[in-house]
Amino acid sequence: MSHYSDGSFYNPAYHDSETLELDRRPPFKPRHSNPYAQDPPPPWQAARASAVSTVTGPWANADPWEGGAGGGLRALGALPLGPRPSQHQEPPWQRQPDHSSVHGEGSFHDAAGPSRFPATFSANMTMRLRGMRRMSMFPNGDPSHLSITEGAIRNELEYEEQNLVKELMACSTKERIEGIRKLPMTYHEKKHIRNRVLASKSSKKSRHLSCLADCSERMSLSLRRGASGVAAARQALDLWQGTMKEVGGSFGSSVLSYFLFLKSLLLLNVFSFVINFSFITVPMLAYDHVPHVPPNVTFRGLELLTGAGYFRYTVLYYGAYRADSSTGLLHYNIQLAYFFTIAAYMVLCGAAVLYSMASSFKMNYVLSDPVGGGSWQLLCTWDFSVTNEKAVRQRKNNLRIQLKESMSERSQGTSLTPAEKMRHFGIHLGAWFISTSMAVGCGNAIYYLSQYEQQQATNTEDWSPAREAETLLVPFVVSLINLVVPLFYSLFNKFELYSSQRRQIYALIIRNVILKMSILGILCYFWVNEVAHKFLCWESMVGQALYRLVVFDFFFMMLGSFFGEFLSKVIGTRWIPGLGVPEFDVARNVLDLIYAQTLAWIGIYFSPLLPVLQIFKFLVLFYLKKVSLIQNCQPPRRVGRAAQMKTIFIALLFFPSFVGSLSLLAYTSWSLTPSRFCGPFKGLDSTFSVVVVWMNSLEKVPAAAWAVWVYANVVRSEIFYFLVTIIILFITFVFWQVTQGRKLLILLLRQQIVNEGKDKTFLLDKLQALQKSHPTQPKSKIKKQRRSGGSSTGVRSSSNAMVQTFLSVEQGSRGTYLREPPSPSHLSISFQRTPLPSERQSPSDALGLTLRAGQRAEVHQPWTPPASDPLVQPPWTPPSEDPLVRVMRARDAYEGPPVPLDGGTSSASGVMMQVMEARRRAEGGGGRGGPERIGPGSSSALIQAMLARQQAQNEYDDGY
Amino acid sequence: MGNKQTIFSAQQLDAYQDCTYFTRKEILRLFSRYRDLAPQLVPLDYTHQPDVKLPYELIGSMPELKDNPFRQRIAEVFSEDGEGNMTLDDFLDMFSVLSEMAPRDLKAYYAFKIYDFNNDDFICKLDLVKTLNKLTRNELTEDEVRMVCEKVMDEADMDNDGRLSLEDFQHVIVRAPEFLSTFHIRI
Repeated sequence: MSHYSDGSFYNPAYHDSETLELDRRPPFKPRHSNPYAQDPPPPWQAARASAVSTVTGPWANADPWEGGAGGGLRALGALPLGPRPSQHQEPPWQRQPDHSSVHGEGSFHDAAGPSRFPATFSANMTMRLRGMRRMSMFPNGDPSHLSITEGAIRNELEYEEQNLVKELMACSTKERIEGIRKLPMTYHEKKHIRNRVLASKSSKKSRHLSCLADCSERMSLSLRRGASGVAAARQALDLWQGTMKEVGGSFGSSVLSYFLFLKSLLLLNVFSFVINFSFITVPMLAYDHVPHVPPNVTFRGLELLTGAGYFRYTVLYYGAYRADSSTGLLHYNIQLAYFFTIAAYMVLCGAAVLYSMASSFKMNYVLSDPVGGGSWQLLCTWDFSVTNEKAVRQRKNNLRIQLKESMSERSQGTSLTPAEKMRHFGIHLGAWFISTSMAVGCGNAIYYLSQYEQQQATNTEDWSPAREAETLLVPFVVSLINLVVPLFYSLFNKFELYSSQRRQIYALIIRNVILKMSILGILCYFWVNEVAHKFLCWESMVGQALYRLVVFDFFFMMLGSFFGEFLSKVIGTRWIPGLGVPEFDVARNVLDLIYAQTLAWIGIYFSPLLPVLQIFKFLVLFYLKKVSLIQNCQPPRRVGRAAQMKTIFIALLFFPSFVGSLSLLAYTSWSLTPSRFCGPFKGLDSTFSVVVVWMNSLEKVPAAAWAVWVYANVVRSEIFYFLVTIIILFITFVFWQVTQGRKLLILLLRQQIVNEGKDKTFLLDKLQALQKSHPTQPKSKIKKQRRSGGSSTGVRSSSNAMVQTFLSVEQGSRGTYLREPPSPSHLSISFQRTPLPSERQSPSDALGLTLRAGQRAEVHQPWTPPASDPLVQPPWTPPSEDPLVRVMRARDAYEGPPVPLDGGTSSASGVMMQVMEARRRAEGGGGRGGPERIGPGSSSALIQAMLARQQAQNEYDDGY
Repeated sequence: MGNKQTIFSAQQLDAYQDCTYFTRKEILRLFSRYRDLAPQLVPLDYTHQPDVKLPYELIGSMPELKDNPFRQRIAEVFSEDGEGNMTLDDFLDMFSVLSEMAPRDLKAYYAFKIYDFNNDDFICKLDLVKTLNKLTRNELTEDEVRMVCEKVMDEADMDNDGRLSLEDFQHVIVRAPEFLSTFHIRI
């Protein structure tokens, strides 16, 4: 919604012209929908329209054909909304004739250019208004009613269209296309707008044709072409579109999110592989393409599992890269390439994950409702992408069950005795204790197991196959723990009673994350502290360990989907039908993916080509999971908050996973000594000292002085980081304060909405009370009102003021600026369409009055204004005002609340009282300024008056 | 983009690209989907803008729509005649709004129209009951239906007028981020 709230935007066409004073009114509250047009306007409105035109026509000018304001009034009068003089249009008896004629002329002579409008709405607002209006204008599309107001509607649409075109023209090309696409209109209308914008653009261009404009236009065009080409290419690269559609079609978007996650991880690995391969491996192979394998080591096949043996000497691992290989024709520094490629990859990964996490957090978490209600369940959960018949049926069932549950939960309430609370608390505490100690125990077990294995291992170059196979023990145990322990955790759910399903899922996720992170943490600790000091080429050893972990993780993932999904389906369908077909557990599967990706991130330094394995793994996993899903699973029963879960998963990918691997890599490259006898960094104190060496060599090159300076004063200086930290802290604090302020504002605004609602109900109550207590005849009321109106406002008649009240807010700037002169033919047509009172067969006294008055007004007011016309005289002439007032009032009375056959005029009078009261409040609030300016105080009262009237109209509709 | 196609003129394609969220290729694909619904009705040459309208029965039989409980409403809302009979333009418009690229406000606007069964610019209780019945196969009791509708009204109706305006609806949508991914039909 914040989208709409940013204020008006600058429209030079409007602001730069000598704007009429009339235009510079304060902006009105834009109308969101048109409550008055819900019904097709009854024919008698046209009679009223003509009546208004006849009365108000002459004041604009002696000759109504000339006056711009008169033209506006004509459009006004014929509007289906009912006529209402807008703010500045006051009856002639109030206004100096010359004053109004000045305005009229001004606007008339300016008719050469397109008409100007207050550009107070943002483009979006106007667009939306437009759409709303289109919606409300032809609710039933009844042509008989359309014909009456056709002209007026056309005028209105024309006006809005011009406004829109103008707004769009002020935008840049990209914004313009976005704006057009965003319009809630049919394609034809959009195209029409687009053509108009383009046409006026080109005509403008032909006027100020210059090379520069031409060039920029051409540039933007070619840029656009390029952008659409890129979009097309992106789509062509879009993997598995058909599969995604199939999965989404039968399992909904929550399961689909798993596959999307998998796909994005796959792309990340492809990227990593591409840069590693092209910046590290290819230059390395270019100089030295034969692996330095000792003669007694051959490829045995077991390497595929263990990653040891033959693979140890290939470019798969760190050890095979050599800095001295870069002495060729072209000097290529492998050390720097190795360091910076991996650093750049990590930085880019971090930026991508952080960005997607932040945007997802903003979209899905901050805005979302903290207390999950039923409304979103009903209105927003239907997944339009589900296209499978069975899935649709299932979804309907699930939704029904969920709704029933939520209702029963509500009726039960949550009242627990202290003893029960204590018991729940105890169970939670116990479950947490058990799960955490399991995680710690697993970590310990793995540590001792690794130590045992490491004691067996030697630095010899040829391991026997049995020795090589022994290395598989640790990864096997790790993967087994990863498979089995989460099953235990989900068993806890049977005993623990959580108040909401969300908490249960969060608890499960946190426990799993703790488990996986403790295992990985222990392994990393072991590598960094023990492996790094024992082996000659320890980086390659760590790389091999990671290779084995990745491979075993892959096997266990496959096993998991076999046991977890296939077997439980077989069991559920064949042997124990009570279990049913398993659901696809999105949370567990995504956590597995995050674990796999953590391994890949850690391994990128020790084994630069590990992403190849990862790509292969993810590709197979994708198809495997797809088949398993479609064959074995049913869609998840609960329509969870998939978007929030997605945010949590990305956050998990960032926080323990990415940050953990980044810190391990940072520690490795800053604090650990690289192996002395292999790898690109041999002989250096730490990996990072490669940068130091590079900078030292750069010092001799005068052109690179800036780089050295940056290195010395920025990268290596504590004060820089200190300052950056301070600044970031400060900015965070400022934003935090802003957030607090916004929160307060939101609270206030909510309160205000509630208050408005209360006002409305209060007014309605009052209305009903008045209906009961004032069964007066409208006739007498009219007199009373006229008296009171006359006394309060001096000259203006109360009915006129009343009508103004209703209509002014909406009318806004619209009618006055339409330039077409009033055509008598139109009015006469509308009059002809007015049925006779007998035709309407309405019992209402008011209606008869309306029609008669309309006719009288017509008679009183011939269209070619003769000099003797009483209305032309500035002073108020009661005889001609009388029918008008009566028309309006009668119409209001008729339009009001239900007019039952038996003396129902009383209810009509109730509405009028109501409205009068609101009007008086408006007057009081706005001061003597009257309707010229709608102050903030009076506008609220005005809105209330409108709402009251709208309500009355609805009641009438229902009653009818 | 050298491939020759004579279905649309370049101007037409440009206009389609400017007014929908589709690329050229997608537009051509959607055209072929549209044409597949009734090959004998839809000509292969659209450069002269033939006046072709596919009846709702054909549109509603698309695999993307045929099991959607709201298919009739969708077709009605997006068709220019309001009865579900669609021209190619309406068809493109519909899938453009339901595509991934369309912004939330546009989607919310059309979702509102889809749920507004009686076209009165408000989602009233009757509309909610209809929605509910469509979503749950009429299997809730009357009492439950009433309760759910009351609850929804209670939560979503900000100004207490007993029905949901577009603003109320958008308020709900903003708080339900799933909407963007669920109000989406893949083509």
